[in-house]
Amino acid sequence: MATPKRRAQRRDAAGPRKRRKELPKVQTGIAGLDEVLSGGLPAGRMTLLNGGAGSGKSLLGLQCLLHSARAGEPGIVVLFEERAAAVRQNAWSLGWDLASLEQKNRLYLMDARLNPEAVVSGDFSIKGLLAVLGQKIKTMRARLIVIDAVDVLLHLYDNPVRERHELYALHEWLLDRGLTTIMTVKTVSQEEAPSRYAFLDFMADCVIHVDQRITAQVTTRRLRVMKYRGSGFGRNEYPFIVGENGINVIPITSSVLQHRPPGPKVSSGQARLDDVLAGGYKRGTSILIVGTAGAGKTTLACVFAQAACRRGERVLYLNFEESPESMVSNMLSPGLALRPLIKSGTLVVQSYLPEAMGVEEHLFHALKALDEVQPRHVVVDAISACTRMGSERAAFEYLMRLLNACKERGITCIYLNQATGLDIVSEISGIGVSSVIDTVILLRQLPIGGAMKRELIVVKSRGSKYSEQFHEFRITDRGIDVVKA
Amino acid sequence: MKAGKRKRQRTAKPGGETYVFRLFVAGNESNSTRAGGNLARLCEEHLNGRYQIETVDVLKDAAAAHKNNVLVTPTLVLLKPRPKVTLLGNLNDTRQVLAALRLTGDER
Repeated sequence: MATPKRRAQRRDAAGPRKRRKELPKVQTGIAGLDEVLSGGLPAGRMTLLNGGAGSGKSLLGLQCLLHSARAGEPGIVVLFEERAAAVRQNAWSLGWDLASLEQKNRLYLMDARLNPEAVVSGDFSIKGLLAVLGQKIKTMRARLIVIDAVDVLLHLYDNPVRERHELYALHEWLLDRGLTTIMTVKTVSQEEAPSRYAFLDFMADCVIHVDQRITAQVTTRRLRVMKYRGSGFGRNEYPFIVGENGINVIPITSSVLQHRPPGPKVSSGQARLDDVLAGGYKRGTSILIVGTAGAGKTTLACVFAQAACRRGERVLYLNFEESPESMVSNMLSPGLALRPLIKSGTLVVQSYLPEAMGVEEHLFHALKALDEVQPRHVVVDAISACTRMGSERAAFEYLMRLLNACKERGITCIYLNQATGLDIVSEISGIGVSSVIDTVILLRQLPIGGAMKRELIVVKSRGSKYSEQFHEFRITDRGIDVVKA
Repeated sequence: MKAGKRKRQRTAKPGGETYVFRLFVAGNESNSTRAGGNLARLCEEHLNGRYQIETVDVLKDAAAAHKNNVLVTPTLVLLKPRPKVTLLGNLNDTRQVLAALRLTGDER
């Protein structure tokens, strides 16, 4: 008698088997954005993209549609503002061939610009648009639709109540057809005026805000998901860039530290320095080399790079101070032959002007290089120049995220930092990154007997029994030489 | 004499061209019906039978709407005499409609 009851209880105790139904999603094809959106845009629902002029919202919409179209899901773009021909042309500059997709009936650019000379007399509806759209959707079997600059259409009404009514009607119409919709709307900054189209935020299931701002004369683009009904999402602001093949959202820095454990020791390229370091640097760790100008930081890093390359380990050298050519010729003086290594592809030198781009773009290039070059070691020369990317904060962000990316991949990371004052020790901190650095080497020059004497000391080296003394070293025409103490 | 002159100015020029209209409607939704009624009345009052109205239902003929770039309904297009005029809405504002169609005289 009691058995069935007990069984029922037991089932309760274990909890009813909850099968969480994941919201069906449509990938945007932008890796970082799909990550932020936990998979993509809500399928069969409306996503609102708002932002100011030039914020990249139309481009984002087009790129999502293009991704689907290429994957075989046809889509339509309704253009209220731009000419279809202009959109096609602009897309070409990003290497997107819209015309060929149009020929395959995967994509349709609908020119929906309103006749500017039309006289408005009395009330009207957008049934004409819906009739055309409805037919196109049917013949193309379209699944995705981008409605670009819907505000242009709404302006025609000149009546907030009618605007709202028509838009709700449009929303219903799209939902009835199960279309995944991206609607872009121009907004003014929210401080200036509570947007006239604020109601759109309530209507849409997912709202993404994009903007571009200028800090210290450097433009950065950001996006933020304001809401996403029925789904989790990344709640921060995420930087993105418009690169040579479209929008790239910088992937989120993982909140969990997933660094690989440090590997075995790897030679610094100089036998005696290896002794000082109790065997060399640890593979996959981070090393900070601090010193005044001319103390030999670049030389030390290049000695390491040359030795690594000669072992066949690829090195990525990010140079913010000089061009690859001048670096190569300057390193001839201490007898380092980098050119053949560059030619063979084991040494990859990339020089950037820090102020030429924002942090996001720098980071994007660096992460791209990590993926393309697949280096075992990375050198950044010098992190002090990174503040020119905008601010100290920007430099910190760049260096930390690059460091994390390297540690996750087990790449050794050597940061050079130029100290400006004589009190070098206080500058070790190097834009605040020193706490996550595993090994710190300090270089200094002392005027002794009418000459400059170079010294180095290992200030810290996690998990190593290193020498705690100052060691004299010389830059010779055959690399560096650490004088035996 | 005076009255006659005024009347002439309020309507189309005598012996002038026939007015050719195309009216895009969406089935029998209220604005479309109203636009049809308004247009018929204006033509009767001002064009002395010298007009043609072609009505296109976008719900039945989406291709025509597409071809003529009709996004909103009702849309009235004056095809002749040139230049072409496009009017959006239910044509409730008679004075504005007459002005746009170049049918206004000195009534005000």
